[in-house]
Amino acid sequence: MPWYLYLALKQLFPTGKRVSLFFIIAVCGVMLGVMLLVIVQSVMGGFGRIYRDKIIETNGHIRIETGEVMYDYENMLNFLSARKEVAAASPYAHGVVMLQHKDRPAFPAIRSIDVNGETPVVPIANYIILGGVDDLDDDSVLLSSNLASSIGAALHSTVEVYTPLIIDKLTEDEVLLPRELTVVGIYETGWEEFDSNTMIATLRLMQELYNLSSGVHGVAVRLNPGYDEEEVASMIREEILPPNETMTWLDMYAGLLWILKLEKNMQFFLLLFIVIVAAFAIANAQLLTVIRKTREIGLLGALGGQPRQLIACYCFQGLFIGVLGTLLGIIVGLIALHFRNDIIHGFAKLTNSEEWLIKFYQFAELPVYYTSSDFIAISISALILTTLAGLLPAWHAARMKPAEALRNE
Amino acid sequence: MTKSFRSGNRSIEVLSGIEMCMRQGESISIRGDSGSGKTTLLNVIAGLEYPDKGKIFWGETLLSQLSASSQAKQRAVTIGMVFQAFYLIPELDAFENVMMASRILGRAGSQEKSRARELLERVGLKERLYSSTLKLSGGERQRVAVARALMNKPSLILADEPTGNLDENTGKEIIDLLMEISREETVSLILVTHNPDYAMQTQRQFLLHYGKLNINTDG
Repeated sequence: MPWYLYLALKQLFPTGKRVSLFFIIAVCGVMLGVMLLVIVQSVMGGFGRIYRDKIIETNGHIRIETGEVMYDYENMLNFLSARKEVAAASPYAHGVVMLQHKDRPAFPAIRSIDVNGETPVVPIANYIILGGVDDLDDDSVLLSSNLASSIGAALHSTVEVYTPLIIDKLTEDEVLLPRELTVVGIYETGWEEFDSNTMIATLRLMQELYNLSSGVHGVAVRLNPGYDEEEVASMIREEILPPNETMTWLDMYAGLLWILKLEKNMQFFLLLFIVIVAAFAIANAQLLTVIRKTREIGLLGALGGQPRQLIACYCFQGLFIGVLGTLLGIIVGLIALHFRNDIIHGFAKLTNSEEWLIKFYQFAELPVYYTSSDFIAISISALILTTLAGLLPAWHAARMKPAEALRNE
Repeated sequence: MTKSFRSGNRSIEVLSGIEMCMRQGESISIRGDSGSGKTTLLNVIAGLEYPDKGKIFWGETLLSQLSASSQAKQRAVTIGMVFQAFYLIPELDAFENVMMASRILGRAGSQEKSRARELLERVGLKERLYSSTLKLSGGERQRVAVARALMNKPSLILADEPTGNLDENTGKEIIDLLMEISREETVSLILVTHNPDYAMQTQRQFLLHYGKLNINTDG
């Protein structure tokens, strides 16, 4: 081992002495910063992942629309079904209606699902909490849990649906009565946006409510695992003719995803300041050490040590603190993530805020998702900062002339 | 050889027209008042400071012809230094301190380890090899410093007031040790001291006065 690395390790772990308090504090500082970065980035990643999964579960990966009513969707379905990337494709219609149960109105988004396919694009059956999808027919609907609750509807309740078609007919001096439908199921996906104000009907019913005849608004596609939605959408786009347009879930929720990404990056940036503060503490303590050890540094020069080796000695100490702090930070961060729900529920219980947690964050459990790139970014940032922290005192040490350093009082 | 320092606008000549030559194995002493330039002279000889005029030879090698890094390497194998304040590295034990001299040259094998042990035994620290230097007495610390100075088998030892921080008996022991090693290993020794008795033990005695190096004839 080169002498400067040997000495760096010895200065951190002196022979026959305890590890210095400076070293412990410096490692703890880096560890805390890295731990918080790991936790926050993983939780933010988890929120992003949950949003992603819920969006895909409730929309599919890709939608193909024309901007108008699509009548030849059968050809499109045949074209899509032949592709190996496509797990399922189904036509849909969507819109907004006025829903009334007794005297309580609501204005939910309504959409159709394909209840016949073996692999549905929108597997709503997985989220039914009351009733069932099998009972859904052209005289019934499924309501989201919050919608049902807000209008006081329960299973088998009869609700009235007013569509924009009623207003169209009124302008032609015709009266179209609201459609009475039975609630045959209530679903809850765990995604507040979908659960708060949506309802589901059969495609035939939607065609009737919106006077679409045999047309639909578009075709939704679910991909087999392992395929990239943007790549597949691009391939499909090349093969279909205008006015057909493809849109991935990333396009549909670009705003939300951008905010999530921005939040994640901002959290990273802000929390990085903890590591920066730790790096300043390292630089400060190392600089004091260098000043205290001026004559030793002079001695090393007199013994034949080179300035660049002195730089390596002190930079290595910063790097070593960084490596140890980063490793411990990742380990402690992962442990904290493992027990995150216990911690959160304990805290929520303590502050009586469990309901608020679900209401505002839309998820009952704290989600976690991390990728190797998250850890690489955190580790590299921490290591660069701590090594740079060692550079300032190292540079100061390297500038000393041995004779002057030895003369230092 | 001359050497001066700047103090504000003033130039203070510390060494003026120094000319000296040493034989291998010879011991000389230099005495002089505080601030007379004794340490500066040792630093110039060691290549830690550059003379304003004149040349320094280490054997056949002209010092000014070497690059800074070559000088540093050459110094490590040619010159051993002993200081008044010992300058041991507190994080290392006695053995590791001695080994540091050869580690800097990239040598830390079994041969070097054996030599470090032998040297520490030679200076009377057989039982304190792995003691923390903080637990050693002043005399023991200086013995470690002497062993470190000898580690790379130098041809010259520069001892800058090596007894300055020691009591009389311990100081005498250290001087005896340095003289003995100088004689037995044919290592040249330049001893800077205030003590005329120690100075008298060397083969030649010099007095540094107003920057001039004079042969001391008054003992």
